[in-house]
Amino acid sequence: MKHFSEEDLIAYQLHESSDEAVIARHLESCSECADLSESIAETLRVFSGDPVPQPNLEHNWQRLRGNLSVLTPEHRRGFEPFRWHWAWPVAGVVTAALVLLTGFGLHIHQTSGTRHSVAVNGHGPLTTEPADSAIANHLEAAERLLTEVNNSSGSLDDTTREQAHDLLLKNAIYVRDARDSGDLAEAAVLENFGRVLTTLDNEPQTSHSTWRLRLEMNTSGLLLDIRILRQNDDHSQGATQ
Amino acid sequence: MSNRRMDKAETEAIRDVLAGNRDAYRVLMDRHFCSVTRVAFRITGNEADAEEAAQEAFLRAYNKLPSFRQDSAFSTWIMRIVMNTAINLVERRNRDLSYHAPRIADEPSANDHTVRIADGKAGPEGVLLNREAVSLRHAAMAELTPMERTAFTLRHMEDVSMTEIAAALNVTSNSAKQAVFRAVSKLRRSLTPVAGGAR
Repeated sequence: MKHFSEEDLIAYQLHESSDEAVIARHLESCSECADLSESIAETLRVFSGDPVPQPNLEHNWQRLRGNLSVLTPEHRRGFEPFRWHWAWPVAGVVTAALVLLTGFGLHIHQTSGTRHSVAVNGHGPLTTEPADSAIANHLEAAERLLTEVNNSSGSLDDTTREQAHDLLLKNAIYVRDARDSGDLAEAAVLENFGRVLTTLDNEPQTSHSTWRLRLEMNTSGLLLDIRILRQNDDHSQGATQ
Repeated sequence: MSNRRMDKAETEAIRDVLAGNRDAYRVLMDRHFCSVTRVAFRITGNEADAEEAAQEAFLRAYNKLPSFRQDSAFSTWIMRIVMNTAINLVERRNRDLSYHAPRIADEPSANDHTVRIADGKAGPEGVLLNREAVSLRHAAMAELTPMERTAFTLRHMEDVSMTEIAAALNVTSNSAKQAVFRAVSKLRRSLTPVAGGAR
């Protein structure tokens, strides 16, 4: 005899099942499923009778009213040709300026040597330094670990913490290398990553520690920085090939 | 939570609010504040937080009223807002370890910020059983994630359809369904002494 799963029986009790008639027939002949179904029904009954307090409407209105500003309707955002009569000349001037700037920029790019950018979280590559595969692997591992930190709800598992310990030792070397080569942007990002790793490696794990780490060390922002470094790494590897 | 179009009184109230008459918002509040607080209470589990979430939801709705397209009912819109507001509040409370909301306890204590659910009709034995049941229910609900709690309470206690819950929570209908199923399964296991529990 095929039994129904707990999920099937919960769906049945909540009238969300598409097999309601089939389940009802089965429950008449199967005491095991009937017991489970009754246990679910009993749970639902326990949670059906909670009284809900009535709010004091006047009191709430008075509290709310004090926070209400005077509103005005939002302007229509549709295309209104007569209100845009000034836009075409402006668009023409802007386009001409862009063409000139692009040409000027290309000229400077061709005449000057390679320059290092130090922007973090900006657009485009952070650096044009050629990348080596070891740092690429390190950044990939860093990205994986931070993704885990950003998405786990409780404390981190032992494997992840061991990874953090391994990465901590390697990270110190990459920080020094980045500093020695003058890539301060990369050094700064890796230093921040090192702080996260140190915390993970030393602080006792509780149900709130991962959440606190995310908040205090802005691991989401750091993950973005690491991704940008990786992207730069891919770009410069592509450029050297 | 009906999906009906707004009636004339609500449409006029919104028009008046947008014309600068703040007091016209009272019409919408009179009609929907109780149901909104009810939903917030189901999600937050206590009266103070429910009123705070409802207040915040009405304030947000008011500030967004200029961009409210009246192709859905105000009731549907405000319910979506309050669900999200209440879930956010629960998550904030869970994160804020220093927060002490009134909690249900066998013996109320001002120092511990605990309160007792009163039941005037029950006898001494009934009071004891009732206290234990309330305490167990409260603990079981606290084990659910905000999403599970919201989906379960709205589906089971407020009889809101899965489609509406999914839309309000911005998840697929199947995800909303799974959240409800997980909630029931967890509650059943938590309530072994009261409801027969997991067998």
